[in-house]
Amino acid sequence: MSKAFGIINFAGNNIQVNDMQAYRPIGAFSFLGRYRVIDFPISNMSNSGIDVMQVYVRRKPPRSLVEHIGTGRHYNINSKRGKLITLFQESNIDNGIYNTDIAAYMENLDCFDEINSEYVVIAPSYMVYTADYSAFLKTHIESGADITLMYHSVDNAKDHFPNCQTLNINKQKGVLSMEPNLGNAKNRNIFMDTYVMKKDLFLDLVQKAHKLSSMYTLADIVNESCEELDVRAYPHRGYFATISDFNSYYEANLELIDLKKATDLFHDNWPIYTRTNDSCPTQYFEGSKVTSSVISNGCLIEGTVENCVIGRGCTIKEGAVIKNCVIGADVVIGKGVHAENLVIDKHARLIRGKRIIASPDKPGYIKRGDKL
Amino acid sequence: MNYDKMLEYHKQNNADATIAVIEVPMKEASRFGIMNTDETGHIVEFEEKPEHPKSNLASMGIYIFNWKLLRKMLLADMKNADSSHDFGKDIIPTMLNDGKSLYAYKFKGYWKDVGTIDSLWEANMDLLDKNNKLDLNDPNWKIYTEDATALPQYIGADAVVERAFITQGCVVDGTVKNSVLFTGAKVAAGAKVIDSVLMPGAEVAEGAVVTRALLPMALRLERTLLSETQPARISSSLQNE
Repeated sequence: MSKAFGIINFAGNNIQVNDMQAYRPIGAFSFLGRYRVIDFPISNMSNSGIDVMQVYVRRKPPRSLVEHIGTGRHYNINSKRGKLITLFQESNIDNGIYNTDIAAYMENLDCFDEINSEYVVIAPSYMVYTADYSAFLKTHIESGADITLMYHSVDNAKDHFPNCQTLNINKQKGVLSMEPNLGNAKNRNIFMDTYVMKKDLFLDLVQKAHKLSSMYTLADIVNESCEELDVRAYPHRGYFATISDFNSYYEANLELIDLKKATDLFHDNWPIYTRTNDSCPTQYFEGSKVTSSVISNGCLIEGTVENCVIGRGCTIKEGAVIKNCVIGADVVIGKGVHAENLVIDKHARLIRGKRIIASPDKPGYIKRGDKL
Repeated sequence: MNYDKMLEYHKQNNADATIAVIEVPMKEASRFGIMNTDETGHIVEFEEKPEHPKSNLASMGIYIFNWKLLRKMLLADMKNADSSHDFGKDIIPTMLNDGKSLYAYKFKGYWKDVGTIDSLWEANMDLLDKNNKLDLNDPNWKIYTEDATALPQYIGADAVVERAFITQGCVVDGTVKNSVLFTGAKVAAGAKVIDSVLMPGAEVAEGAVVTRALLPMALRLERTLLSETQPARISSSLQNE
């Protein structure tokens, strides 16, 4: 049992995934066919022995997220001792500027009273990575730091990791400051929006932020505290992707078709749990031609599939050709339809429109439930 | 199978017990427990593996009993030293002899006894038939099972998949034709799996060819295995050959 409880945070105002975010928060986005993005932070916490978790959402909890998380049983959380609760900020829901994580924490302060843990690990619901938070916590405690931030060193920050924060770190792994990734350098330490600190310090910072500015986020107040507090950096290794805009969502899904990359994220001893569906295995019919793809269960495939990620229960009919697409659950690609370079949202039906081809560097989006 | 329908039939007939039966080809009837009924479905005789079967209604081993009666019979059976404590051999015949009212409920649908390797292999192969009567995809009749924590299936760049049933955790880099792959089965590049069933975790290494076989759980096959007629049997002791 961990000394920490967990908070899974929602994406701030700086992050916007066009089109898809219209229907659900990033945490609820389908990922690699079978998962939802939020399965990663929750599974990381569960595997790290963190049994008590608070999931924050920005707007009234959408049906899809609530249904998916449920009571959290399927994440292997102890049924008696563990607790997974979804919280949100009720009063300023529609006002973007005021709808910050600090505001949400302030409104739910009494929820923290019931939690006896000494530490808190805060992780984002919009980034995909696996990490052992117990090792993270251990390093934090041993170092004597006030706050430890998890980061990932990258060399492609010029055109990747948009809308993310970067950390300026000194030789002793101390964090000097945090600043947004402006895309003006290749090598950066990308902040994974993952923190560990004492619960009391967390509550102090939350209240301080609230007093200083209604716009302040947790990142803001931690950034400000870099001088007076001992803030350290903890390096992460392994697969890391941020879902911080439409392109990054599309790319993160497709790059995991490479099984080698996938093994950088998925490990035998670190299961990523998700809500299961009892779907039938996928059926490949005569005439189907599938290569370089990741396919979920429950699909019926008669057509050609190349370099795609396909969600549960999809139907790809005879003569259909799909390439470089990320497809949500229950999508039908009709006979002879040719689709390329798209993100196709759940329940869409591509039947009459026979050629739907977007440009490779500007992938297209087909709306949820749309009929083409 | 919808047991509610069978229960309704049982109640309609005011039966003491109802046994589900399925019509089998007459020439196979000697392999089964056969129910002889009158026109109303009332069971008049029960014969276990009869040499000269009088009907082709085979017992499916699915029973509905009135609980109080069954309890009484089980307690009596327990005390009977000569009993082999079997429904088909002891309980049912005793009920018939006691003049109890037993009915045969005819089931019309897919049914397969998977008690042999051949039939287990066949049952899996049946799923590949377009006209297969067993619809695992029926959203109104989900078959629940333990869902393994596994990745979705990965189909590689040079994979050739034709007529197959593949589930999560599988990695296919080779050729899979007319086969069924269970959770976590792996087919390496250059390997061929034809007319076969790979149980969970079975691996077929590069260059190996598997035809008409049923590979048991977690077996890693590195050589070619061919079988002309009957499905091949491999025991789990054949590791890394």
